Order: sequence, then structure tokens, then C-alpha cells
Amino acid sequence: MKQLILTATLVHLLVLVQAQPKPTNEKRADSIPEVHLEEVKVYGLTKNTNQQLLHYYRANQAATTEDILARLPELNMIRRSSYGMEPVIRTYNSGQSGLLIDGMRIHGACTDKMDPASIYVEPQNLQSVQIQTGHGFQSGSVIGGTVNMKLAEAQFDDSRKWSGSVSSGYQSAANAWYETGKLNYSGNRLAVMTNISWRKAGNYRSGGGAVIPYSQYEKLNYGITALYKLNDNWTAKADLLLDDGWNIGYPALPMDVGYAGARIAALSWRNVSRTGKWQETEYKIYANSIRHFMDDSRRINVPMHMDMPGESRTYGGYAASKLVLNRNIQLDIKADWSSTFLKASMTMYQQGQLPMYMLTWPDNNTLQSGLGAVFSKRIDSASLFRISARADVFTKSLTTQMAKDQLSVLNNPVNNIHRLLKNIAVEYNYRFSEQLKLKTILSYSERMPTSSELYGFYLFNAFDGYDYIGNTLLKPENAWKAEANISGRSGIFQYGLTGYISRINQYIMGIYQPGLSTMTIGANGVKKHTNLPYAMIAGAEASLIVQPDHSLWFINTTRYSYGEDHQQQALPMIPPVRNTSSVRKMIGPCAVQAELELATAQNRVSNKAMERKTAAYAIAHLRLMYSGSLAGNLFSIDGGVENLFDQAYREHLDWGGIRRPGRNLYLQVTYQF
Amino acid sequence: MKKFIQSPLYIIVFLSVVFLGSCTKDAVEPDAALSYIQLASGYAAGTSTHVEVYASDSAFTGYNKLYILLKDSATGKPVDRAVVTLNPTMDMTTMSHASPKENPVSITAVNHFFPCSVSFIMPSTAGKWTLGVQIQNLENGKSGTASFTINVKAPASAKMFSFKSLADNTTTFFVGLVEPSKPIVGINDLELVVYKKQSMMLFPADSSLSVIMTPEMPTMNHGSPNNVDPVHTINGHYKGKVNFTMTGFWRLNLKLKSGSTVVDSTHYIDITF
Repeated sequence: MKQLILTATLVHLLVLVQAQPKPTNEKRADSIPEVHLEEVKVYGLTKNTNQQLLHYYRANQAATTEDILARLPELNMIRRSSYGMEPVIRTYNSGQSGLLIDGMRIHGACTDKMDPASIYVEPQNLQSVQIQTGHGFQSGSVIGGTVNMKLAEAQFDDSRKWSGSVSSGYQSAANAWYETGKLNYSGNRLAVMTNISWRKAGNYRSGGGAVIPYSQYEKLNYGITALYKLNDNWTAKADLLLDDGWNIGYPALPMDVGYAGARIAALSWRNVSRTGKWQETEYKIYANSIRHFMDDSRRINVPMHMDMPGESRTYGGYAASKLVLNRNIQLDIKADWSSTFLKASMTMYQQGQLPMYMLTWPDNNTLQSGLGAVFSKRIDSASLFRISARADVFTKSLTTQMAKDQLSVLNNPVNNIHRLLKNIAVEYNYRFSEQLKLKTILSYSERMPTSSELYGFYLFNAFDGYDYIGNTLLKPENAWKAEANISGRSGIFQYGLTGYISRINQYIMGIYQPGLSTMTIGANGVKKHTNLPYAMIAGAEASLIVQPDHSLWFINTTRYSYGEDHQQQALPMIPPVRNTSSVRKMIGPCAVQAELELATAQNRVSNKAMERKTAAYAIAHLRLMYSGSLAGNLFSIDGGVENLFDQAYREHLDWGGIRRPGRNLYLQVTYQF
Repeated sequence: MKKFIQSPLYIIVFLSVVFLGSCTKDAVEPDAALSYIQLASGYAAGTSTHVEVYASDSAFTGYNKLYILLKDSATGKPVDRAVVTLNPTMDMTTMSHASPKENPVSITAVNHFFPCSVSFIMPSTAGKWTLGVQIQNLENGKSGTASFTINVKAPASAKMFSFKSLADNTTTFFVGLVEPSKPIVGINDLELVVYKKQSMMLFPADSSLSVIMTPEMPTMNHGSPNNVDPVHTINGHYKGKVNFTMTGFWRLNLKLKSGSTVVDSTHYIDITF
């Protein structure tokens, strides 16, 4: 299969070389919903609701990437700390959905999911967020969908050779500082952008006044990206992104992080012309390395001191292009491969004894090769038909004898695992009028069990308090999913309503093993990842944007999720109904924005996961923005109060019953030059 | 020379040197890879034979695998055919006793060594251990005995224990650990030996017990899954599997039964690696 993909790529290359650019000017068919943060990069895409939401919330210069992602109706954030919240699509878990950075696969190096890849992208690095939910298997075999965070690029600017910005801010709840700097060079053929952000936060104060211990963190994110115009059509791009974090507290977990570092590099070539048969062709190769050191040296009353380092290394590449056959038919294809190595270990120290050492992720490698295609046909001016397909070949292997020896203890076969995953989706779009558009998608998809699910060795899950062991006999999950969306625009109103339902067969979940003794001191028991017959996940999202004039916006989003297992019992980590409203009024150079977040109580919880119920809450934020000019350059001040009424609350997806920050005063000053 | 280096002949010569080099090992000396150490050596009077006793570690209380090397005293060549009989005795001044042992099963040496074992049941601090090695050299037809004083140390954690059977309160059993000698994180072969004390001088192997083995990490208060209780195979050897989920200090708790009667459940063997 690997050879097949290589061959396919080569054939593709040959075709590309032969394809002569023909000047055509077709209008692009609707593509992946893409949320662009900077309007400069919005090519011909219709501005969808999400894009507006992101643009809207990103206006606040003090917002973190996580703050921004949390506002998108399709995304939920699992919170274990004030740092490193894990974005998941709807209520699909991280193994069921994909999180990519600029199309790159990045696997966290932490067995406890402390380091989702999203932490490596700061708002100033982030150009746009692409969310695929119903179909579009260009990014991987997933059943929940894929989030792709596109990185900001260097800008070509004819008027200024050098430009940039500096920003400084303070947040009161965590006594936190946030400093950023960005510099862009624009030459004739070369543009280079470099940026740096530094955050340092202390233990935050939760609503009502209690300080949450072990919620501090410090991190430095820096990178450089360059664009080089090879000729009129082809551009080469190089990215280097680095991230270092220190002393990161995880109040919901028994351990913190002493140091975490990411090194991410990519080279790509892409065809920027929008003419000819083959368009938007891109080739990319990338490599990344993550190192993560969990430790408990700052905790008091630790029964036994331990170190838990982990590492992840990924190499990969892809080739993607769009074949435009005529103004009504196009084919998007993508071939990609990646190789990910993971290793994590635990060393425990007991006075007067030899250290106790074991692998928590026995050294393992995942080799993945995939080929995906999306065929789109515009039937008439009102309707569009699309069919997507993807196949992935996975080989997962244990790479050392020690890894194999250790996993044998669980009576698991330790030979290589080969799987062929298949995905297909059909989509039909119909536009009744500008006021009413309908989109329906029916899909079948499969996903590979994660390395933790296959190979995890007594991984303590602080959410339910069980040690989890892997199961190399797991079958891939497969899901049937239906999704429908209606959207439209009428006068000052713009709305969108999405409903989805999916049945996930071979649903992977930890099942209690009464015969096994726990490894972690104080754990409730041992659970083994097991294929359950099926589970059901459904939900709905609604958004409404009202814009009476250019100085006033009203935005409201509502989301609801439902999940049950094959015994009709609740799945864990299902948020209740949540509603976010925001109104912004521009007054000259100022803007005032009021936000209200509401959530109903979640009393439908998973007993198997020992999940706790969550109370309803309502919190309000007030934000003020000013932008003016100083010495001919843009100058802005963002300030405000979050959790205005100092409510003591937590969201249902927050681990450990830890309350969220209380009243937070913030101020961020930004100067652009 | 340049031509020679470029020619395929060079590769053949190079490879030959590498391969031949790896084969020319002094076969008489103990295999360096096994890193045996010599416990004792001396002549067996009247046999023209030099007797050397090797082990993988210095002698300790418990089951010791020994390797006897016999050499012709004139030529220094190894003697590969001999009847070897061990007579370990401890002199405690007021009394003396023997210990369990396993004579070489074959009269033919394996790689010049005669594998055998002695289970020293107490350390030399209690008295003086003498190992008598009686040989009948089948290559020259001579017989005789070599005697060695062996210094037996108590290991940091006991590898052998004895108990009086709860069934009759008189029979004494000795239980020793044979494997794992090189424990790993993973599945380990578990091998125990059980001897019964028939008299001060006679310790026959016992096959009558059944063993229930439960490993635990005392400081962590956890065990490990999927262990296999040792069952009797041959000559008092009981074989099973013990699984270690991490390095460190492990305790193998043993419950020994005769039929349905528990004869001992208070002993354990500690393994630290």
C-alpha cells in the first residue's frame, strides 16, 4: 500500500508536469468550512458563520488561542489546567478526531494528554482554523472530524519593507503577564516573519476568592517563517516553530510539568496560480519533536516521588492538489504519510531502594499512509453533489525488546498491527434561496485505536481515578454519521442550524478489570480499553448573528450534545446545553462588548466513569477596546473584566472539580508599526 | 595496493578475518559471555586430574548452579568424560550435616563443563562448608576426590528458606529460587527447587507439593497480572511464570500445599533489580 501511494504520488507528479496552465476563471465550489482570522488571506470563500465568530472574538488582543477556540460551536475544550486545554470536536474524544497544525500531525508526548498540539499556536501565529466535521477525509481517518490550525505566514507588503507589532498585557486573576512581539520583512521575492510570545501566570484566584494551587505556568513561544517566490506560480515556504514551557501546574492531575518543549519544522512548495487543470498544488515535508517532563517535585504530601518523561517524534509529508475538470466538476486529492515514534516512562523513587522504572508508553511507532479524494459536481445553479473517500494504511509496532517484554505481561500479542481503514461520505447541498440553504452529509468512517489504547501501561486517568491498560487486540472504531445544516441570511440576520447523529461501532472504552491490581497508589482499579458494541453521539448547534449596522453586532451561539453507550447509559464528558451571547457596539475609536455565557446543569452523567454532576451557571464579561494612532501607527488598548460577578463555577468538561477563574481584570496594549 | 583495496578480493579477505577472528576463542576457559567465576580449584589425589569449580556468582545460601571443569594434569586438556559426584558437608564442630545437591546428569561434559548444583542451606558464618568432588575420570580410568573449602555468603535477601510442615510439624522442607536469575520487566521464567530433609546427610528432591505464588511490590502495594503458579516438572524443580511490571523491589509470596493442606504460607522470596 505504501508503494501504491508512492506510485500514485509519482504519477500525480508526472501529470502535473505535463499539465499546461490554461487560463480559466471558474468560481470555486464551496470547500471545507474555513475560519480565517486575517481577511487578507480570504480567497473567494464565502464568509461563513464560524469565520465571522473567530474574527469577532479574535478582536480581543488579550484572548488566548484557547479562548478563541472555545467560542466555536463545534469545539469543546477539556480542561485539566489553565494551560493546555484540549480542543475536541463536539463530544468525540481526541482519539476520534484529528488536531493538525498546518496539515502536520503532531502527537503529544504526554500520556495524560497535557499537551494537545494547539498549545504550540499562539494567536499571533494562527492564521485560520479549518474544521471538518461531516466529511472531507483529506486530513485523516477520523470519525469525529479534524481541526487544522493554519499558521500565519510572512506577508508581502509593497509599501513597507519592515512591519511588526509589540503587545504587553496583564491579567489580574492569575497575576499573569502576556508579552508578544512580531516582525515582518517584505522583500521582492522573500518575506520573513518572526514572532515571540511569553506568558507567565501565577496560581489563579477562582470565583469567590479561593486560590487554586498548582495552576501556574510559564511559556515561551517563538518561531520564524519565510516565503520565497520561486516564480510567478510557485512559492516555497519554510516554518520553524518552537515552544518551551516551564513549571506548568495541573491542578486536576496528581502531577505537574517541569519542562515541555516542542520543535516543529516544515518545508513546503505550493502553486498559487488559480488557473489550469491542476490548482493549488502543495507539497510539504515536516518533522517535529516534543519532549515532556512530568514531575511532582513541587507537590506536598506525595506518597512517592516520581518522574514521568515522554517524547514524541513525527516525520511526515503530503502532496495535495485540485483537479478542475470543468466549471462544474472538480476533484481534490491528497496523499499523505507520517511516522510517529512515542516513548514515555515512569521512574519512582523510594528511599533506601533501587528506583522503580517502567515504560508507560512502551516504545512504539505508527506508520500511516493515506490517500483521500473529494469529487464535487455542481448539478445546477442550486445544487451540489460531493463524494469523499479515503483509505489509510496503518502499521503500529513496538520497537524495542523491552517494550515487547513489558507489554507481554498483559497477555497482549506484541507483533505488528496492520490495518486498512476506509472512509466514504456523500454530501448534497441545495440552495432554496439566499435565505435558506440546506446541506446534508451521510458518512461512514473508521479510526485507528490510539497508542495509549493499544499500548498504554497502567496510565492513571485522574478523571475517573482508574489505571488504564492497553489492548493490542482492539479493532478500529467505525461510525455511521448523518449531519444536516440549514443556513441563510435575511436582512440583518444571519443564521445557521446544524444537527448530527452518529452511531459508533466497536466503541473503545475502558472496562473495569476486577482481577487486576492497581499500579497507582490510591487508584480505584484497573480498566482495560475494550471494544464495546456501539455508542451513539448526537447533538445540535445553532448560531445567530444580527448586524443592524456597521457599528453594532449581536452574536448568539447555542450547542447541545447527547451521548449514550450500548446499554443506554450516559457517555462521560458530554456537556450540557450552552449558550453564548455577545453584543458589541462601536463608538468612534472605541468598542464596548458585553458577553453572557450560560450553561444548564449536567445531571446526566456516566456512573461507570464516576463522573460528577455539574451545576448550571451564568457568567458575564465586559470588554472595552480602543484603537487609535500614534506616530502614524496603529495603537490599541484592550481592557475588561471577565467573570464580572465573580461567580464560582466550573464547566462540565473541567477535570477534578476545579473552579474556573473568578473576576479577572485585564489590560493589553498593542502597538503596530 | 590501491587496486587490491578496490577489488572484491579485499572484501573477501576482510570478511574472512572478521569471521575467523570471531571463531578463534580459547574453548578451555569458561565462556566469557557467561562470565563464570572460579570458586575453587585443586588436584583430586591419584587421578592426574585438576578439578576447577565455577559458578556465575560467589557461593551464597541457596541454590547454586555449579560448573565443574576437569583438566588432565599432564596435558592441561579438558577431560570430557567422567562420573562426578558432589559431597557438600558443613562442619559445625559439635555436629556436621550435608546439603541438597544435584550431581551432573551426564558423564559427558557440555562444552567441557559438568553442570550440577549445590543448595547451601546456611552461610559459612555458622560453620565450615567443604565441597567434596569425587571423580571417576573415564578417559584415564582413575578415581579420587578433591576437597574444597567454600565460603558461602548470605545474600542480601534470602534465596532459600526452610519450614516445618504444618501437616505433621516434623518434616522440614527447603525451598530455593533457581529462576529468574536475570529478571526483566516482562514475563520471567519462575523456577523453584524443593527438598525434604530426610536425615542430616540426606536431602532428597520433593515433588509432592503444589505452589501458589503471588508477586507484590511491598512499597507500592500492588502485584502484577497473569502470573503462572509453578508446578513440579522433574527432580524437585517447579516451573511457572512471574511477571514484573517495573524494576525495583518485588516480593514473591509463596503458599505451599500438600494436597489440600496448606503446609506453609509465611515465607517469601525477594527479588530486586
